[in-house]
Amino acid sequence: MRLFAFYSLSAVVLLSALGVVLLKNTLRSALLLGLCLAGVAGIYGSLGADYLFASQILVYVSGIAVLVLFVVLLAGRASELRLRQVNDQWLAALFICAVTFWGMRRYVIEAGAALPAGSPQPATAPIGRLMLGDYALPFEVVSLILIAAVVGAVVFSKSRRGKA
Amino acid sequence: MLENVHWIPLLPLIASLVILLGSRDNTDKSRLPLLGVATMGWCLLQSLWIVGQFLLGNVEAPFYRSIEWFRFGGMGTSVGVMIDGTAAFMLVVVTLVSFLVQVYSLGYMHGDPRFKRYFAYLSFFTASMLGLVVTSSLLVLFACWELVGLSSYLLIGFWFEKEAPAYAGKKAFITTKLGDLGFFVGLLLLFAYTGTFDLTLLPAHFHMGLNHIPAWLPTAVGLLLLCGAAGKSAQVPLFIWLPDAMEGPTPVSALIHAATMVAAGVYLVARTYFIYDAAPLAMEAVAWLGLLTALLAATMALVAYDIKRVLAFSTVSQLGFMMLGLGVGGYTSGLFHLTTHGFFKALLFLCAGSVIHSVHTNDMRQMGGLSKKMPETFITMMIGTLAIAGFPFLSGWCSKEAILHDVYRHSPLMWGAALGTAALTSFYMFRLVFLTFLGSSRDDQRWERACESPGVMTIPLWILALLSIVSGLLLEYNEAFAKVVRYGTETARAGMEGTHAGAQAPAAWLAWAAFGVFAAGLAGAWRLYGTGDMRLAEALKRAFRPIFDALEERYGFDRFFLALVRASDALARALHWFDDHIIDAVFVDGWGLATRSLAELQRFFDDFFVDGAVDAVGAITHDAGGVLSRLMRGQLQEYLLFAALAISLFATFIMAR
Amino acid sequence: MSLAHYLTLSAALFLIGLFGALTRRNIIGILMGIELMFNAANINLAAFNRYLHPKGVIGDALVIFVIGVAAAEIVVGLALVLAIYHARDTVYAEDINLLKG
Repeated sequence: MRLFAFYSLSAVVLLSALGVVLLKNTLRSALLLGLCLAGVAGIYGSLGADYLFASQILVYVSGIAVLVLFVVLLAGRASELRLRQVNDQWLAALFICAVTFWGMRRYVIEAGAALPAGSPQPATAPIGRLMLGDYALPFEVVSLILIAAVVGAVVFSKSRRGKA
Repeated sequence: MLENVHWIPLLPLIASLVILLGSRDNTDKSRLPLLGVATMGWCLLQSLWIVGQFLLGNVEAPFYRSIEWFRFGGMGTSVGVMIDGTAAFMLVVVTLVSFLVQVYSLGYMHGDPRFKRYFAYLSFFTASMLGLVVTSSLLVLFACWELVGLSSYLLIGFWFEKEAPAYAGKKAFITTKLGDLGFFVGLLLLFAYTGTFDLTLLPAHFHMGLNHIPAWLPTAVGLLLLCGAAGKSAQVPLFIWLPDAMEGPTPVSALIHAATMVAAGVYLVARTYFIYDAAPLAMEAVAWLGLLTALLAATMALVAYDIKRVLAFSTVSQLGFMMLGLGVGGYTSGLFHLTTHGFFKALLFLCAGSVIHSVHTNDMRQMGGLSKKMPETFITMMIGTLAIAGFPFLSGWCSKEAILHDVYRHSPLMWGAALGTAALTSFYMFRLVFLTFLGSSRDDQRWERACESPGVMTIPLWILALLSIVSGLLLEYNEAFAKVVRYGTETARAGMEGTHAGAQAPAAWLAWAAFGVFAAGLAGAWRLYGTGDMRLAEALKRAFRPIFDALEERYGFDRFFLALVRASDALARALHWFDDHIIDAVFVDGWGLATRSLAELQRFFDDFFVDGAVDAVGAITHDAGGVLSRLMRGQLQEYLLFAALAISLFATFIMAR
Repeated sequence: MSLAHYLTLSAALFLIGLFGALTRRNIIGILMGIELMFNAANINLAAFNRYLHPKGVIGDALVIFVIGVAAAEIVVGLALVLAIYHARDTVYAEDINLLKG
């Protein structure tokens, strides 16, 4: 049962990822990105990471994917939807991917023998305790990063001709 | 006042500077020359006083004072004065003749545009000569020797606008310089082996018994110093300048070329007599040189028709006599003749000057019969001629007798030749007087205008004439001269004691022989020239034409020296060519060329290789940069690609190990 | 179902994302590829947390951080894209070559 769930979720993730990177239509790419991210949330769920499942949906799917969608809509033209999207260096990129894959192979196989030990626990409370305890500093730093990103985005979004 | 003897040369020097610089007016309106005359008068009185001291026997040893001049390490030299009897008499001769000549010149040079400068030169000359006489250091003597030569040059060429005096001045300077070369080498040798120039210290080195000087040294030094003496005293072969030196004013000839400068050579030999005493060979050379000179000069005087030339040759001949005297050991007799000759030769020259001043010509062929027009000059000249020819009891006779006596004792052969010379002397001197004063005039215009010279010129003549008569006997009285002027060893004996009472038989016979030649010369001259009828003289001249020409040519000595000058000139030119074209071309220019070629090579190397390498590095960098920059197209994807490639490769290699 | 499954999955997702980042012409496409890579890494972290340290939640916490940073980054990136679009009227990477040397 679990295996079936895993494989189907994996299929969703991988296929939609392929769609993201190969489709000509940018809009469809963006939508498929949302699907992929949702699939990844499911993977988290299969792993038993309940908090991650939730935050992935909240942040990535409904935040980032939507954002990407907005930008795609704002920054594109209809005429471009039929243009080829893969550039000339796809062969070199394939080669790089092959090389990287060959490098990762060993680790994947070596580490793969481990089996799950015990059943997954609810993680929310422990994560909360961690955030406000040992990892308080990284937590604050990430908030800082987020603020900086927001400010930066606001600054960038201002166009010269007037308010964006 | 022997303490102040160093002022005797110094005062005339100061006077000459004052005269030269004291006023711009060169003409005879200037009063400064009188300063020179007055100074010389003072020096004369001082010298007479000094001689007086010596004659009275108040001075036992030579008066000597010196101070140190300079010192190099262990060697040094001093400068000072050394007055012995010889020096004292020489002082008198020089100051007396100089004084009389200066007085005479006041008249003779009247009207000359450079009147004042002439007197400056005269004082300067006298100062140098007096310095030469009194000094105790041979080095200072040499310095004064050169100064005297310089003064001579200035005075001979006094009328340098004319070509002949200028040439004559040069000739004199250069010819004597030739002799001075020998002098200088001799001095160097002397100093090298004895370490001193001082005349009071040197004799000790040369006396037998001290053998720290090599055996050849006295001979070598003696001969070399003789070179210098031969130049200054116009011995053969360096006499050629003296006849030409007559281009200068006649008072100059009287002072310098009769009494003083030419006597410097003889004086040098006398001062360094201890060297010759130790080198018999050198002494013999002195004698033979003197004899040869005396004889040759007398022959050349026979055919000269310029009145001053005759006197010049006569001077050369008499100097030869002096050298002869010194060379045969007659220290006293040689110097005695120097003293008397100073008087009567100066007299003769001044008389000649008087004649020239009157008739404005030197050529005796244009004179004649002047005895009526210039009686004083005639009488005084006659007195001088009698003195030089050897009229008994006159000064010339006394000194010449002394020399002949010493020569006979040394070598009868030389005596014979000397006697012959004396005959010739008598002959040509009387020839001079007869041609000038006797007979009828050969140039009536000149004769008409001729008149006796003014008092300022004739008074010195009378003074000198008086001296020419009495000085001989005066100095022989009580052997005064011989006691004062003598060389104090056994080998050279004063020659004067043999000529008078108590002498051996040869002495009397010698005296008669000398008188005989005097008479013979007089007779010969009278026969040929006395009456003014020249036909016999002309006939003889035609008959002995070749001899006559040789004598006129002065035996070709002039031509020999000119050829020598031309040869050395050619040598100098050849060496110059060699230096220019070979040494300069090869070593200097060649070196420059080699250096330049090497530099060119290096430049090429530098340009091509070194700079090329530098440029290549730059070019490579530039081109590489150009090539590499084309990689950066600004394409984001490419950058990402490269980054990803690099990372994946590194990671793979790390992970795959 | 072992760790290997999850690792394989994340590796594949990562490679796909890499390929996309390198080959997409559209800048937004590049950013999407980068997102995929982030997610692959997150899957890895979560899997390790579950299989190797089941008692702890450190892996999960790390994933939270990564998600935060990724969010910040994509926000900025998209803001940039919009700015570029306003300035140059294009969203294709090959048109933006001011760094061309």
